Amino acid sequence: MKECNIVIAGVGGQGILLVAEMLGTAALMEGFNVRVSEIHGMAQRGGTVVCDVRIGEKVYAPTTPMGKADVMLGLEPIEALRHIKLTSPQTLIVMNTRIVEPVAVTMGMAKTPTLDEIVQIIHKFYNRAILIDAMELAMKAGSPLVQNVAMLGVLTSTEALPFGIDALRESIRQLVSPKHIELNIKALELGLKAGGSYSSLRYRY
Amino acid sequence: MVAPKVLLSKKSHDRHLLSGNEAIARGAIEAGIRVATAYPGTPSSEIADSISEIAREAGIYMEYSTNEIVAVEVAAGASLCGVRALSCMKHVGLNVASDALITLAYTGVRGGLVVVSADDPGCWSSQSEQDNRYYAPLANLPCLEPSNSQEAKDWTVYTFELSEKFELPVLFRTTTRVSHTLAPVKFGSIRKRQEQGEFIADVRRFVMVPDFARVRHSVLVKKINSIKEVSEKSPLNMIVREEGRIGFVTSGVSFNYTMEAIDALGLEASVLKLGIIHPFPENLVKEFVGRFDDIFIVEELEPYLENAVKASASSLGSCIRVHGKSSGFLPRYGELSTTIVTEALAKSLEKPVPRNFAITIPFDEIQGSLPPRPPILCAGCPHRATFYAMRKSMKGEVVNCTDIGCYALGIQAPLKIGDLLICMGASVGAACGMSKVQERPTVAIVGDSTFFHAAIPGLIDAVYNNHRVIIVVLDNYATAMTGFQPHPGTGITGMGIAGRRVVIEEVAMGCGVEHIKVVNPYDVKQTVDAFRRARDYPGPSVIVSRQKCSLLATQEKRRRGEKTIPYKIVEESCDQCLACIKVLGCPAIAILDQKVVIDANLCTGCSVCAQVCPNNAIEVS
Repeated sequence: MKECNIVIAGVGGQGILLVAEMLGTAALMEGFNVRVSEIHGMAQRGGTVVCDVRIGEKVYAPTTPMGKADVMLGLEPIEALRHIKLTSPQTLIVMNTRIVEPVAVTMGMAKTPTLDEIVQIIHKFYNRAILIDAMELAMKAGSPLVQNVAMLGVLTSTEALPFGIDALRESIRQLVSPKHIELNIKALELGLKAGGSYSSLRYRY
Repeated sequence: MVAPKVLLSKKSHDRHLLSGNEAIARGAIEAGIRVATAYPGTPSSEIADSISEIAREAGIYMEYSTNEIVAVEVAAGASLCGVRALSCMKHVGLNVASDALITLAYTGVRGGLVVVSADDPGCWSSQSEQDNRYYAPLANLPCLEPSNSQEAKDWTVYTFELSEKFELPVLFRTTTRVSHTLAPVKFGSIRKRQEQGEFIADVRRFVMVPDFARVRHSVLVKKINSIKEVSEKSPLNMIVREEGRIGFVTSGVSFNYTMEAIDALGLEASVLKLGIIHPFPENLVKEFVGRFDDIFIVEELEPYLENAVKASASSLGSCIRVHGKSSGFLPRYGELSTTIVTEALAKSLEKPVPRNFAITIPFDEIQGSLPPRPPILCAGCPHRATFYAMRKSMKGEVVNCTDIGCYALGIQAPLKIGDLLICMGASVGAACGMSKVQERPTVAIVGDSTFFHAAIPGLIDAVYNNHRVIIVVLDNYATAMTGFQPHPGTGITGMGIAGRRVVIEEVAMGCGVEHIKVVNPYDVKQTVDAFRRARDYPGPSVIVSRQKCSLLATQEKRRRGEKTIPYKIVEESCDQCLACIKVLGCPAIAILDQKVVIDANLCTGCSVCAQVCPNNAIEVS
């Protein structure tokens, strides 16, 4: 298979590490060589968080080289842009449209681009993107906490992953506490459906 | 993290996705450890945390020790009785433990003793990026360095064997990217554990008075020379690729970047990967290096391998070009990555940097337009409440010496508390020194776990020498920054059972502090008053600000099925003065459509904003 590099970016507390581990566990189950990088310590404190999932025979390093991301899974738009150096115009962008405003912005000490500006950047430079309101999907599934898994579901609707939704369902069963399995699988499936409801991959928004 | 029970699986040949840290834990279990000790510290914490979760079931004694030197001493005590023991810490923790470790090299051990040092190139969550490989030659101890989770597991098992065979503690060095990268690990079988130990006295070996220490030093040098023979022939030091006219010497995580960079540039190259980095396999390296005109040394931080390679190759003459730190091939600070190594190699070899696209995206311009998002104190964090009270009661007239823990995040606006941060416990000592030479009140801010770890000698110094310092102990019932590990003040042990709780204010009282006040930081008025009184007190004072970590409290509530009742803005009373936002900076308070709102999903109901609001416009939902 071709190497597959997935970069997951977002804000501490969004469940980025969990999504990365779900992807890694699914890859291992399907017999692939895989590396999942996770930097924690600061991860729960509302800071920027980025995680890499790298699948492929010749993968050694934990992190994606610049320009080599096949997928940017942005759980938050500002953070998706922060790690833009890992992408190329061929990178598939799968991005949550819910901005989480940094405290510096709330306090009036820093400015943030608007969602429209972010969307324009993505449309200008990338060939393929799916921009979706993960909060809406998560609330439909039953909890704002599953935006991450809903976004994973959206990613599953593309051809980017070397495995399908069944492997991810199984990794959810392995990684999530029993009482939350149904909620997470529901979010995954809603994401899959939402991602798949667009007719072409180019700019679903 | 995998379910902790996976680490006890008896099915050898099973494959699991493990972090380097979990892999070390599994390796220690396979090696049949009886005792595990640690002081938590990123990036090492999950080794001990995973063992703590299964300790009772596995029959392993696990403890979170008061600090790293105690952790090594406890593990060494067990090892001297003949059982295997593991001790884990972050790189700077080894500074604390080094006093014990260096003399333990003289006495040697009996059961295998492995000391893990998890280094942090790039300072992801540390105050320095010191390179602990140098502890190996300093202490004359062997040091192994894995490059991925499988090696972390396999080599942990081997390290116990090596330690036991030569009766020496062995250092096991990882870095953040090895400790925190998940990769497939094939399990091995679990060795039967020796349950009971016995200390057999041997005064000349174990009592390091000068006469005996001199002799033991020579014994140590003999041991390390014998281990050098092991290192020369070990399969852990191996040539993984053999072709072309360029040679690479590397180890640990840098090996991964090397392999990908060689691939990206399509080079014909040979790679010598070192797993045992001390004692250095000089002959093996000399033989390898002698085959090439150009040798590239790929390593993070200091030129440890580079200098050893140069020493090994010195008899070969000067025809070999060694590319490393001193030649400017790679930087001497920060982490490496595939990109950094590829670009550095391309420059040295005068090759174009391969890109799969022309640069059409203005990366720097886009990144430059983004607001910063540093880690901050969480919604409802009791430290925010304490810091607000400090600001309110002492204004700008004080110097705040802070310490290692979440509360270091207090430096962010708007609270901006923290003028000095050095290492565990340094806040107290430094504040004492400042108080002697300047008039302004000096404050030492120290967390609960940090208090037990390193602040007590400083506290005694303050009492003994009558330093006018205010020591604020932020007691949130956890070692929060590293993952909520228990500590002496929680009264819960690493085995997950109740121990005896050590009470901070009783320790302070026992040390002779006369002005002690315990406050609940969520009670703003009480806390402000306590700081005012401490400010005017002429000697050392201690304020214990006690409130459970808000993340932990929320987690526990959720587990009990209790609902958190958030606060809300009363629109008709709110005049948009933004006091709540501007003095607290709580991430639960935001501005939406030009109105102040409280995010009910984030609010923990701490009530501090309601006490701060000048218009009484915040109330419970």
